[in-house]
Amino acid sequence: MKISLDWLGDFVNWNDEPERLAERLTAAGLNVEGIEHVRHSFPGVVVARVLERGKHPDADRLSLCQVDDGSGAPVQVVCGAPNVRAGLTVLFARVGAQLPGDFQIKKSKIRGVESCGMICSATELELGADGAGIIELDTDVPSGTPADELYGYNDTVLEIEVTPNRPDWLSHVGVAREVAAIYGTKMSLPPTWNAVEGGENLGVKVRVENYADCGRYTAWGARQVKIGPSPRWMQNRLRAIGQRPINNVVDITNYVMFELGQPLHAFDRGQLAGNAITVRRASAGTSVRTLDGQEREVEAGTLLICDEKGPVALAGVMGLGNSEVTGNTTEVLLESAFFDPRLVRRASRRLGLLSESSYRFERGADWDMVERAAVRALHLLQEHAGAYVVRDWADRRDPDYRPAEPVKLRVWQVNRVLGVSVTVDQVAQILQRLGLKVQPMGNAEAIGPGAVNMMAHVPSHRRDLALEVDLIEEIARIHGLDQLGGRGGYRVAGGAVRRPADKARARLRGWLSACGYAEIVTSSFMEAADHDRLGLAAGDARRRTLAVVNPRHGGDTQLRTLMAPSALAVARRNLNAGVQVPVRFFQLNRVFRPGLAAGRPLRHADEALLPAELEYAQLVVAGWRETGLGGVPCDLLELRGAVEALASSLRLRLTLEPGGDESWLDAGACWRIRDGAGRQVGVAGRVTDSVLAAFDVDAPVALAEFRLDELDLEPAPVRFEPFTRFPAVKRDLSLLVPGSVPYGALHDAVTEAGGPLLESAELFDIYRGKGVADGHAAYGIRLKFRSAKGSLKGEAVDAAIARILGALKDRLGVVPRT
Amino acid sequence: MQETIERLRAEALAAIGAAADEAALEAVRVSVLGRKGSLTGLLRGLKDLGDEARREAGAALNAAKDDLNAALTAREAQLGAGRPAASSGYDLTLPGRAPAPSGSLHPLQTVLEEICDIFHGMGFSRDDGPEVELDYYNFTALNFPDDHPARDIQDTFYINDKVLLRTQTSPVQVRMMERREPPLACVFPGRVYRNENADASHSSEFFQIEGLVVDRAVSMADLKDTVDTFVRNYFGASAPTRFRPHYFPFTEPSVEVDMQCILCGGKGCGTCKQGGWLEIMGAGMVHPNVFRAAGYPDDRYTGFAFGMGIDRIAMLKYGISDIRLLYENDLRFLNQFRGVQ
Repeated sequence: MKISLDWLGDFVNWNDEPERLAERLTAAGLNVEGIEHVRHSFPGVVVARVLERGKHPDADRLSLCQVDDGSGAPVQVVCGAPNVRAGLTVLFARVGAQLPGDFQIKKSKIRGVESCGMICSATELELGADGAGIIELDTDVPSGTPADELYGYNDTVLEIEVTPNRPDWLSHVGVAREVAAIYGTKMSLPPTWNAVEGGENLGVKVRVENYADCGRYTAWGARQVKIGPSPRWMQNRLRAIGQRPINNVVDITNYVMFELGQPLHAFDRGQLAGNAITVRRASAGTSVRTLDGQEREVEAGTLLICDEKGPVALAGVMGLGNSEVTGNTTEVLLESAFFDPRLVRRASRRLGLLSESSYRFERGADWDMVERAAVRALHLLQEHAGAYVVRDWADRRDPDYRPAEPVKLRVWQVNRVLGVSVTVDQVAQILQRLGLKVQPMGNAEAIGPGAVNMMAHVPSHRRDLALEVDLIEEIARIHGLDQLGGRGGYRVAGGAVRRPADKARARLRGWLSACGYAEIVTSSFMEAADHDRLGLAAGDARRRTLAVVNPRHGGDTQLRTLMAPSALAVARRNLNAGVQVPVRFFQLNRVFRPGLAAGRPLRHADEALLPAELEYAQLVVAGWRETGLGGVPCDLLELRGAVEALASSLRLRLTLEPGGDESWLDAGACWRIRDGAGRQVGVAGRVTDSVLAAFDVDAPVALAEFRLDELDLEPAPVRFEPFTRFPAVKRDLSLLVPGSVPYGALHDAVTEAGGPLLESAELFDIYRGKGVADGHAAYGIRLKFRSAKGSLKGEAVDAAIARILGALKDRLGVVPRT
Repeated sequence: MQETIERLRAEALAAIGAAADEAALEAVRVSVLGRKGSLTGLLRGLKDLGDEARREAGAALNAAKDDLNAALTAREAQLGAGRPAASSGYDLTLPGRAPAPSGSLHPLQTVLEEICDIFHGMGFSRDDGPEVELDYYNFTALNFPDDHPARDIQDTFYINDKVLLRTQTSPVQVRMMERREPPLACVFPGRVYRNENADASHSSEFFQIEGLVVDRAVSMADLKDTVDTFVRNYFGASAPTRFRPHYFPFTEPSVEVDMQCILCGGKGCGTCKQGGWLEIMGAGMVHPNVFRAAGYPDDRYTGFAFGMGIDRIAMLKYGISDIRLLYENDLRFLNQFRGVQ
């Protein structure tokens, strides 16, 4: 919303620089976002008379004119306008004149003829939209009078941010009230209200079907209207606040709306069918053409203004083309009404049609302004459109309408909420400055929880003030918020304890970043095609997504049910950018699974509609092509090690069990991740080549992901156990292992057979090739034995080794390498 | 005898000092302290002296022997320094190998944790809530009437009539109050969504942190002090703050909080758009209707709430001019935050 200070000055005086005024308004909650200086000035442009119009010798369309610009001698100028003729009064830019758009007039030769200046059109001076011909003035001011005396305009315009609770600020009078309250001065309403003149009947009956939809509807008549441009000062003010002048009638309705905040609508009475106006809901959908020329579908239930044939306006939103004021209009029916804000808002949103009118009505118009605004507009129509105003007017109003109830105020509560100590008098003064009537209650001195100190009567333009706390906000605004505080801040007795899950997340993030993984933050949306790219089975529950029904243009609509697509997208981006491989990153993020929320305690019945939000930790290694121990890819070895180590850093047990059934993981290179209780909490492995291709990634990607919310992140406290100080005995085994035996089975057999003395068994080498039978590998395993009871004897260790070798041979066909 | 010892000592010390290498030093040692060395000879001769003289000379000889041994050790260390370890000849200027390459934490998460830490220090606990939220919690319970323009402040992604992507972390306020009785002091960080197109300063997904304090007599003055404490602790300086009255349906009075620009100190710069102030949060006193939605009796409690954008603070703190960088996950961006904890 733009506020012209020139206009504002009609209603209030503030005696302050615009910048200071802006600061004070901002401090009071009317945020001034910008200050713009408007200057319409035309240096070097003067009123002149065309003395003579001749033909240009070399150009059919140009005229050669002699002009009296008040300088004494006639000036010769070439003019291209079709309407130039002797005797016209015009605006003439002398040589040296400065025109809008940094255009300077110079003496020139046009087709060989000297031209000393320019006769101006409205567009050249930015005075209007007519660029077809020169301006024809109807004035008797002497030639040579500077154009600035007629058209000059200086103004300062504030761009204000009006919050939805303050519709009263959507007008100059509303802002004037605020200025008066801030500066402690008086404000006045627009000067003249004596409007009505003729004694005839209006000749129009108004019927409101339901006063809940339209609390008040007034209709007024203005006859013998002469459509033309609105007065210069009105155009200047409208332009200054960013409005385009149209004609006197339309401009006047707009002007009054920006002045008083009440939207008005002018119908061409001649185009209205019959003698009745009905305010009613549309009973069925219908198609209409609005003033802006658009065909629009109107839903059933939309509030309409109808004549005897059908709709002529969408109530509070926009008029229809069928009753528009045009150049031929001679009689105007002026509407000033109070519509239900919710209906206007619904209509405006369903139609996608936001107008200055709907913007005000949906925020709540001022009941008391309905009549005043109409009379103000009629007065302006008399003055500037030659209108004859009919004294009779139609007024239908809700008989049950009641002004706002007075609001009780306890000064005790003011001080409690704000943390100040204001007195009853101070509070009363502030409210009075804001235009509220204050009625003292009880003992003026008594301040306490039960003591109502006053009743505040709220004017009709402040219907936002309905509760005690609304008044407290007003007191805070005007009292000022600068002095608050200085008491040290609120402190909670006993302090706070960090949640175990928060501590675990912090540790996990710290551990992963220290291990070379970069944390990423990815979108909660996934592409619709991602399910197919991942090759999910048709019945996979993760194909069931939630989708937003009103996505922004071009955005994804589906909430992700998997983490993998985001990992692949980030891998692709960084591999393509040539980041050094292997690329390592991790994320802690949520997926959204509809229909899984059952079992959660419901506080609100509709909570069953919400999806489960599953929190995943995901580690990704991309672009690593090397292989490691036993020919296994390094990325897989790293992920396994990382998952196990980070689990132990959280004092959890996560185990990786070879195998899995994710369509997007390589069946021979993946694991199920299980927690200490054996439940599957995640997967790990290499993404298949076909999925990589579908995501346009041309290097291997391995990832591990597990449900963080499924894990017990509050492990049991550590209990110290005494450790033995006796030395360990180490023995290395070199085993000949058939290719069919997985290391895991070997390891299990060794640890089971090793008995209580075996402390650890660690694989340190795998060798295939010369000296090892085909289809076999040589495994080097280091065993460590220890007893809590004393130093181990060689015989005891030998016995354990024998057991181990026996078990390996019997169960797996593994023998010592010779 | 004493003079002989003294002369021998002085000569030997000089010889030690003059030894150019370890071989020369060893020769000095042998000539003085060796089996046939000069000092050893004198020691052997002690047995021929009388009791008194033997005691005196013995003490002097042993003192001289200690001195010379110390000098030998010191000289040996001197000569040995700077020489490669005899056995290996390692090139110790080769690049080191870390146990793991360095990763990084995302700046948004870092800022979020830092802010939580500060409020933790002030006694605030931490909680979170769903990102897919009921219209009820996101709007209705927060005193946004149906069909009211206040709902336009935030462009909302709807799943259906009742379910949406939360536009703010504020719904967690209501969930918390439904669950617990005051006194409450909590922060709720998390991801929020707005249905708008991305540009350098807007993202359709971003992060907020919400704060809520409810007790018998919490006031706007407490809010101001809390904000000031946070700003002082987080931004390190004593940047002044100011409250500008504003409108949020779920707080009243509502304010926007500005902090004096930390980059220009309030003089005006590009970051603060020449205004000298940076808007850092919205805040206010919990609206009575919100208490009512949470099931608290009228008038029993007062409270304040605040919410701030994590992204904006991260951008300020690290000089990031385009919010989209935070969500592109380009390692050339993320790697710059190595070592930021």
